Amino acid sequence: MLTAVSPQAAAAGLFPGQGLTDARALRPDLVLAEAEPEADARALEALADWCVRFSPAVAPDPPDGLFLDIGGVSHLWGGEAEMAADLAARLARDGLTARIAVADTAGAAWALARSPAAEANPRILAPGKAEAQPLAPELAGLPTTALRLEPAAVERLARLGLRRIGQLAGLPRGPLAKRFGAKVLLRLDQALGRAPEALAFRRPPTPWFARLDLAEPVSAPEDLARLCRDATLRLCARLEASGRGARRFRLDFHRVDGAPVGLELGLSRPARDPDRIARLFLPRLESLDPGFGIEAVSLQAAEAEVLAPGQSDLASLLEPIEGPEALAPLIDRLTARLGARRVWRSRPLASHVPERSVRRAAAREAEAGPARDGPTGGWPAWRPRPLRLLPRPEVLEAVIALTPDEPPRQFRWRGRVHRIRLAEGPERIGAEWWRTGIEAVRTDQVRDYYRVEDQDGARLWVFRSGLHDHDRPVRWWLHGLFG
Amino acid sequence: MDGDRRNRLAALRTDIRRLERMAGPVRGRLSLGDPRLDSALPGGGLSLGQWHEIGGEGSEAETGAAPAAFAARLAAALLARPDQRGRSAVWILRRDDLFPPGLAGLGLPAERLVGVCARDEAEALGVAEDALASPGVGVVLAEVGAVDLTAGRRLQLACEARGGTGLVILRRPFGGGGATAGGTAAATCWRVAPAASAPNLGGLGLGPPRWRLRLARSRGGRSGAWLVEAAGTADEGEADVAHPLRLVAELGDRDLAAPAAFSAAG
Repeated sequence: MLTAVSPQAAAAGLFPGQGLTDARALRPDLVLAEAEPEADARALEALADWCVRFSPAVAPDPPDGLFLDIGGVSHLWGGEAEMAADLAARLARDGLTARIAVADTAGAAWALARSPAAEANPRILAPGKAEAQPLAPELAGLPTTALRLEPAAVERLARLGLRRIGQLAGLPRGPLAKRFGAKVLLRLDQALGRAPEALAFRRPPTPWFARLDLAEPVSAPEDLARLCRDATLRLCARLEASGRGARRFRLDFHRVDGAPVGLELGLSRPARDPDRIARLFLPRLESLDPGFGIEAVSLQAAEAEVLAPGQSDLASLLEPIEGPEALAPLIDRLTARLGARRVWRSRPLASHVPERSVRRAAAREAEAGPARDGPTGGWPAWRPRPLRLLPRPEVLEAVIALTPDEPPRQFRWRGRVHRIRLAEGPERIGAEWWRTGIEAVRTDQVRDYYRVEDQDGARLWVFRSGLHDHDRPVRWWLHGLFG
Repeated sequence: MDGDRRNRLAALRTDIRRLERMAGPVRGRLSLGDPRLDSALPGGGLSLGQWHEIGGEGSEAETGAAPAAFAARLAAALLARPDQRGRSAVWILRRDDLFPPGLAGLGLPAERLVGVCARDEAEALGVAEDALASPGVGVVLAEVGAVDLTAGRRLQLACEARGGTGLVILRRPFGGGGATAGGTAAATCWRVAPAASAPNLGGLGLGPPRWRLRLARSRGGRSGAWLVEAAGTADEGEADVAHPLRLVAELGDRDLAAPAAFSAAG
């Protein structure tokens, strides 16, 4: 069966849904290609990402459509018609045929884009026309297939002679829903703006969006830096005007070849100081590959919060010396430079397994931790813990220890012999059976920890794995170092 | 001739004083916990608003355990000062093996500590500089292989920006060759080695850790060596960071030359 046909094939009388044998009989010289729905879906997703240059809110509409929410961004092109023309021109340059329509509702835009008239030029439905009473002729004349209905529903409507949207809209609502299902009514209402429609946007829509278009592609680092600063200035001016600051920023450079390259930035508290935000982006611009050039840049902000006017200006003059606010700029700088995984605060976790007793929290996370008990901050003081914990325990060689449960007298670690003069322990630490289930717990997983001091006074944290067993040699490990 | 010599000496002394002043203003002194220790340091304590170098001896140069413990005691005492209220410590690592429960046992609370793991030496020093010059940072602990004169001078300038104190822990990679620092711009240079501890009172378990402390260089002061014990750690039940160290004995140069004498003494 044919799933798609080229314009030439359509002219020869072929159509999607036609049987292969019929098509071959009609045109024996037919060139066939296997349908690849997965690849088409991937291409649509890629196109959705590419479309972010036009609006941050892009929703793929499989198998062959894209919704762009251009509310509040079309003025950047000088109007909806100019924006649609630009989109059409850019798509055509990349060899994509597209039909574009702009309307107040997603349903009406869908219907118009699939009307034959959209083939030549983008269709623009003037604001307010989709909801107009009586129905605007542009919509009333469209076939019922334009309502995104099931083929069966379209067929049932056609049997009663209902072929145009205008005919449907005139019918009483109750009998229409009863006869053809609530779906028909819902689609009609969505197209005419009587029912809301939620689109699944690739990125959450944000009203905080700034973009710059370039006449000529650029790729020099200093140009990228300037673009970054300009976009930041624009967005921050808007944030400032509305008395807000944002915690998350995303900077996207749109390359000539269509692949967007972007940087994310998270702040510990809302900000709108353009210098500071640009400074956090600048060192990371080097890591971006501009390809054959950048033709547009977009910056969007999320998690916008109310920030008192003038607060940011004051803050730069009188930086607080105390409290977590004082540390926030440093943590933002370090996180932007090194990555969030390399900057952290440690939090106690209720686990007696040493490796699991520390949780690493993002350093920008607020101070509010669990209630602390005692000066050791949640870790019990009576359990001695080393200053350095080896990433994985290292096995000890030539261990001399009395069985079954004496601390070692002597061992070799990293080529050095340590003679033990003092020891403390054992502290027995078993597997956390409540994690895996009691049957998974084995006695050879039990660790007996000793704190030992060698002939030089170096203090080490060693453990014996498993309970004493005559058949099996005991193994000793070094897990940490005390100072 | 004699007068000429005296004049030259006086001129040189003025030069030295001027050079020392160039080292930047001191923002207070941190008591190490014993007057005999403090008196060896110019001004009667560890100078704040400057940076100090802490190295290990023997295998400690690789593991960096005793130097880190000594630095943690100093940092804990520093953060406990009333003028450091609300400030944090930033600990910059190259090898990610710091265990916060152990630091908490030494009196350095985890909630006032920000950990940073740098990818290379230059980045570690860069982060240290940035942190020292930032508000809200009381002390920066940086584990690096070596600090050359230029890097040291930059650290000093960063310290002066906001009065942060730097503690640089020298640590060389496992099995790697030792990077021997020539000159240094640090206010003081310490060498820390573990020492055999006294048994705990009552004979059960280990007592507080002891260190052989050597002040290898001190700007405007003299060097010295001591046997000290960490005071007021979790080992003693109650945490007291006001007096981080307890002096056990003053050591002469001869004692330093033969450290074996101490292991036998234990």
